Amino acid sequence: MKKLFLGLFAALAALTLVGCRKTPAKSDSKVFHIMAWNEEFKGFFEKYVCDERAKFVEAAEKKDDSLKPKEYHYDGKLVKWTIVPSEGGQYQKSLDQHLKANETASDDEKVDMFLAEADYILKYSNSKYTTPIKDLGVYNLSNTYEYTSQVASDSKGVVKGVSFQCCPAGVIYRRSIAKAVFGTDDPAKVQEKISNWDKFNAVAADMKAKGYYMTSSFAETYRAFSNNVTQPWVNDDLKLQFDPQIEAWMAQAENFIKNEYTLTAGIWEDGCTNEMFATGKTFCWFGPAWYYNFCMGNAQDETKGCFGDWAVCEGPAYYYWGGTWLMGAAGGNDDYLVGKCMNSFINDKDVCKALVKNEGQFSNNQKANKEVAAEYEKEGTGNAFLGGQNDTKFYLDLAKRIQIKGMTIYDQYCNEGLQKAFGEFLKGAVATKADAIANFKTQLHIDCPEIVFE
Amino acid sequence: MDNIKSIRKVESNDTEPKKRIQKGVSYAKWGYIFIIPFFLVYLAFTLYPQIKTFIFSFQKYFESGLNVFGPKWNNFGNYVALFTKSENGVVMIVKAFTNTMIMWLMGAVFQFLISLVLAVFFTSSRLRLKATGFFKAVFYMPNLIMASAFAFLFYALFNTVGPINQLAQMMGWADKPIDFISTYPWSTRTLVATMNFILWFGNTTILLMAGIMGIDESLFESARMDGASSNRVFFDITLPLLKPILVYVLITSLIGGLQMYDVPYLLTKGGGEPNFSTMTIVMLLNKYLSANNYGMAGAVAVVLFVITGGLSFLVFRMIRRKDD
Repeated sequence: MKKLFLGLFAALAALTLVGCRKTPAKSDSKVFHIMAWNEEFKGFFEKYVCDERAKFVEAAEKKDDSLKPKEYHYDGKLVKWTIVPSEGGQYQKSLDQHLKANETASDDEKVDMFLAEADYILKYSNSKYTTPIKDLGVYNLSNTYEYTSQVASDSKGVVKGVSFQCCPAGVIYRRSIAKAVFGTDDPAKVQEKISNWDKFNAVAADMKAKGYYMTSSFAETYRAFSNNVTQPWVNDDLKLQFDPQIEAWMAQAENFIKNEYTLTAGIWEDGCTNEMFATGKTFCWFGPAWYYNFCMGNAQDETKGCFGDWAVCEGPAYYYWGGTWLMGAAGGNDDYLVGKCMNSFINDKDVCKALVKNEGQFSNNQKANKEVAAEYEKEGTGNAFLGGQNDTKFYLDLAKRIQIKGMTIYDQYCNEGLQKAFGEFLKGAVATKADAIANFKTQLHIDCPEIVFE
Repeated sequence: MDNIKSIRKVESNDTEPKKRIQKGVSYAKWGYIFIIPFFLVYLAFTLYPQIKTFIFSFQKYFESGLNVFGPKWNNFGNYVALFTKSENGVVMIVKAFTNTMIMWLMGAVFQFLISLVLAVFFTSSRLRLKATGFFKAVFYMPNLIMASAFAFLFYALFNTVGPINQLAQMMGWADKPIDFISTYPWSTRTLVATMNFILWFGNTTILLMAGIMGIDESLFESARMDGASSNRVFFDITLPLLKPILVYVLITSLIGGLQMYDVPYLLTKGGGEPNFSTMTIVMLLNKYLSANNYGMAGAVAVVLFVITGGLSFLVFRMIRRKDD
């Protein structure tokens, strides 16, 4: 009798567990279909999670692409990629078509998982075309950084995506200029000098006095402000609103241009990046870890660059920049595999450590990052580009403190549009600040006619 | 060939039985069959989209994120919105039309003056210039380069860290880089007009030369024998007789100018900077299209269609009158 009760109890318990944690069922489909806009994640997927990963690792070690299997599998299913470049909105257009047709598409065509960037992730997380990660079998987010879930949550707070990387950003500065102006290039001491915006602005004046620029683009500091807004660009009534942080950026940009603390170039323009050469007179840039390799080619130039003359510190505000999120497509066949893949990239410590050590990433697993940072510390190694600074250790703490509030699907239009329109005012192409804002609204009205203005 | 032969046969032999005539005429059906592919493509890819565009222009129909608004009948709502002042106090379509016309005129004035002079020189039996073939080819060459490549070249030359600025600073003409492209409206417009001029003056020269060569040479000779100066010949003989061709070339150039797009788009990276002063009608159309606003894009397209349609009608009438 006792046994029977125990048995019943166990069965009940199992049922309740199943009830609250439904594991997605396996399907008979033979293909696992992923959409992305470049090959970055594909490389990680091949080397660290697919069934034939050993062969890919071998190919990477021997630097011989012919060793890579032409076809490979994930949990026995053939992996199929659809890669569409993001230029001119191509990726999103193609993705939208696929997602809308996903329910009725044939098994081989159904998209199971796709990649999204922070700039437009809300468009997908707020739609019915994505599956909550809980339903995919991803429950444990305790290792990840909080902001990565905030970014991927829909308007009700349901998490719809998982990032395989974390992109805390700081102030990347020239050591030689820091020495010339502050007398020290130590990141902790430099941080003291620019730990809030008032100090940062004051240092800009010192830089000018010694013949340097603080930054080389009026928009350099933009993300450090816009990541810290407390109200969204567009409220529930679809009304456009300016957050005090955005106002503060405009005031700073105007002040910096007026006093010649910065240049009128945009952040991607040669006028800005040419300042990264050894001959440049600019003190700092704002960026995350990926910025060194992706955007600082001029600084790493063998003849004209200044490799090693750099260091990174927190700067005046916590912010992040970039990142890639994995999302499960509604109507896909293999929800359990999407969940398995997501879990690998946030909860499998070995995979995450490999990302940090081999791929120059800062992973979305706090423990993995911590262990790698400690290993570097023990070995006394660091990033040669940053003059030996252990930046993995530096980002550890920074990443935990980033908070995201008030994201909307209009952010990309608003952020890029305002920078562009305000830049025209700063250059003198538009007479007043009010004219620049009016031009910004004019463009925004063309892009998003549903937004209303006061 | 067979067709011609059979027709000849029919013409030459009136006494042939009727059957024969019918056979000859029936070849005409091949003509229709051969043009079927063109009309199919035309119907599917030109006429159908045109009708759709026209319908969209009367509908509220746009996408935002993954949501689609409409299509819903909006009567003349899109046209009213198009001709309403924007947030910056400007009616964007009027601004775009003005910009387009200004930039076209800036280029066209020089284009026609220089092309006319070159055409007269090259065709003059008095000057007998050597190697005109070579020069014609050289002048025409820019037209073969893609406008996009040309725009990129100008961007590379004139941006703030480009060679023109480096030169200006080296020679001491400027102590700071000058932003030719995105700060001063007239500088950007001049760049666009210059590019259009270089791209098209060779083409215009060749058309005008054809026109001048069509004028009876004996007129020039007799004028010269009567002692007319070159100026007199140009103003009293060449110009009046060239007028029909000149007007035709002018209006086709105007229609081309109204559709100005690639050069200003690429030079300003789609923005029409500075302060929307280089935004053309087609660039505005493209702004609506890339925002997936089919209704408003349709309205802009219809407005552009009406303007170019009117101008094309003018050209048509002119050519007809000449034939009469």
